[in-house]
Amino acid sequence: MSKRLKNSLISLALIISAVFVGIFTTNNPVRSSSSSDRTQIVFWHELGGASEDALEEVVNGFNKSQSKYEVVPKYQGSYDEAIQKILQTHGTSTSPAVFQAFDIATAQMIHSKYTTPVQNFIDKDPDFDIEKIAPAARSFYSNGGKQQAMPFNTSQPVLYYNASLLKKYNITPPPVSPTYSDITRVAKQLYERSGHKTKGMTIQIYGWLLEQATTNAGTALANNNNGHTGIPTSVDMNNPSTVKFLEWIHENIKSGDFINYGSGASAGANQTAGFLAGKVGIFIQSSASIGELTANNKDKLGITYFPHPDGQKANGVSIGGAALWISNDKPKAVQQGAYEFAKYALSPAVQAQWQKSTGYLALNKDSQKEKILKDLYAKNPEAKVPGQQLADAKPNYVNSGILLEGMQVTRQLEEVAMEESYNGGDIHKALKKATKNVNQNIKTSNRANGYK
Amino acid sequence: MLKSTTPTMVEAGTKTKKKHRTFSLNAKDKYYALLFLGPSLLILSVFVFYPMLRTLYISMFLTNTLGKTTVFNGLGNYTDLLGSPEYIASLGSTLVYVFAVTILTVGIGLLLANLASKRLPGIGVFRTLYSVTMGVSVSVAAIFWLFIFNPSTGFFALLSNMVGLPVINWLTDPTMAMWAVIITTVWMNLGFTFLILLGAISSVPTTLYEAASIEGASERRQFFKITVPMISPTLFFVSTITLIEGFKSFGLIDLITKGGPTNSTNMLVYRIYKDAFYSGNYAQASSEAIILTVIIAFFTFLQFKFLEKRVNY
Repeated sequence: MSKRLKNSLISLALIISAVFVGIFTTNNPVRSSSSSDRTQIVFWHELGGASEDALEEVVNGFNKSQSKYEVVPKYQGSYDEAIQKILQTHGTSTSPAVFQAFDIATAQMIHSKYTTPVQNFIDKDPDFDIEKIAPAARSFYSNGGKQQAMPFNTSQPVLYYNASLLKKYNITPPPVSPTYSDITRVAKQLYERSGHKTKGMTIQIYGWLLEQATTNAGTALANNNNGHTGIPTSVDMNNPSTVKFLEWIHENIKSGDFINYGSGASAGANQTAGFLAGKVGIFIQSSASIGELTANNKDKLGITYFPHPDGQKANGVSIGGAALWISNDKPKAVQQGAYEFAKYALSPAVQAQWQKSTGYLALNKDSQKEKILKDLYAKNPEAKVPGQQLADAKPNYVNSGILLEGMQVTRQLEEVAMEESYNGGDIHKALKKATKNVNQNIKTSNRANGYK
Repeated sequence: MLKSTTPTMVEAGTKTKKKHRTFSLNAKDKYYALLFLGPSLLILSVFVFYPMLRTLYISMFLTNTLGKTTVFNGLGNYTDLLGSPEYIASLGSTLVYVFAVTILTVGIGLLLANLASKRLPGIGVFRTLYSVTMGVSVSVAAIFWLFIFNPSTGFFALLSNMVGLPVINWLTDPTMAMWAVIITTVWMNLGFTFLILLGAISSVPTTLYEAASIEGASERRQFFKITVPMISPTLFFVSTITLIEGFKSFGLIDLITKGGPTNSTNMLVYRIYKDAFYSGNYAQASSEAIILTVIIAFFTFLQFKFLEKRVNY
């Protein structure tokens, strides 16, 4: 072998190894930063902005409260993407010890069998009283009589109205738990009495709202009791409750008092802007928006429960938001630490502060006795309404969420149906089409997962 | 273009190794070939060939909640996709987007390049301005355009308020959202296209224009009869690149519309991403990726087949 060849071979080998070192070396900050002998608990979450700051406060509070564990929070982007990251990294050194997973991924998380139910820790813990946690939130994340995950950031859909405008035009405000016709009355009066300057109402094209309307009317979208007594095999969107909801919207679109802001993130922002500018009087949104709606509002804010169809009682809506899950691929000590953190996050004082800084609801009943919340309610009495709605809801299979895999796709299809119906299409036809597509998806998914 | 270069390369190769009449390799040649091709083959096989084959494999199965392949589905994923109106709609919107972007980018780029090729005082300022979008990152461009499209405070909204026209809901109206994405993409692409075309126009010999002027040809005639034919190889290159990049478009869509409203901008690549990393349906996403590969290969083939013949050197 000539010398030149040898040299070139050596340099080539060097280049290749350099490339591979660059590619395959991952720096693992968890291990390298462990200066103390505390057990590291890696915590994946998906909260950005002000909520992330509030979450970091919770984490810092936990780290200061004891000396055994150190929780390391890591932001993972959107809820949807985080689910895939969690599932794909499970069993590797990068996977989290405790993670936040959003409401509609609950079925996926349970079926993955990648987590240890928090019930296992609660059973061994004499200090923790699960009864203190809001029942509607608990039942959402439990299955087979076991608490699977610890409910954490929890919101409820509520109806917001512009109380100042109603007063200006001498309109009687809607009751705390309004029916569809209560809202129609207010919307029509507002539209007429403002000389068509203010639109009466809007309801965003958002699958979550369609699900909640169906839930509040007491109907399960998926069979097997919304998946709580078995894997769902079909949904029925074209049911009387969903139809009534869309007919109610149709009625308001026809009389001109309804404004459609469309779907998607910008639609949400635009409807909030429209509401704050007094261009629309009523809209439905997560209770987590209260902060934004009181801080930047020159008008007085009114809040009611989610509306329900006439001639029946409200079944109560299900919660939204996310829960804390404990991975089962970590040593026992780490899992215990993850549980201790979840427990701390649910303690009365932490939950009270959490509600104040984020708008998510305090889940611990004792939080209501905390000074922070009492002060908050004294300043904004309407901030009490979402919590009351949560407390009023008697958990049943219908309002404990839909335990269906592929809820992300289902929601997209629901939104297409809403859009078609808003644009004047036949409600039954739109819902039938959505049902067919969702069922097709369920069939494939169940086949892939080997569910019978 | 490519065909003409290959024979010369082979000729050059045989000239240096006069001993070999035929193109067979001896042991030393093989050794060298492996030495020089090895690293790239290794990297390509790890990062390109293996993922490609794996995608093909996954596309013939169903994947479960954990993303693992479970049930063999043959071509079932493909027939499901091609039979789904949503996917066909997605395909349609991608074609609209890609052709609109290609035509507008190349058209406007050509216009600007032709204008900026004139020797006028201060033309350097315009050349810089027209090519400046090359230095703008996708995220910055997206945020910038989101501000412009904002229905209450955006530039377009202010403009239509001033003139007294109704405000267009750029990002919530399905048709307008498509245009919003097209406009932004064209704006982003323009810098690169402009620069390449300007270079091509500048290299056209001035003698041709002088001769044409003497013959009395109008500027317009000169443009279509001299400039366009002379720069046709570059036009071909630019349109191919823009078309393929159009199919692969992702960043702007993610930042501006996220595929909405009601899937009107949910184009093929974005759809793959959403099906895989939002919905966790890796099997379907893999089938979509294979279909996209076939489509891009088809259009690239068409362009080489038909456009290349019209390329005038």
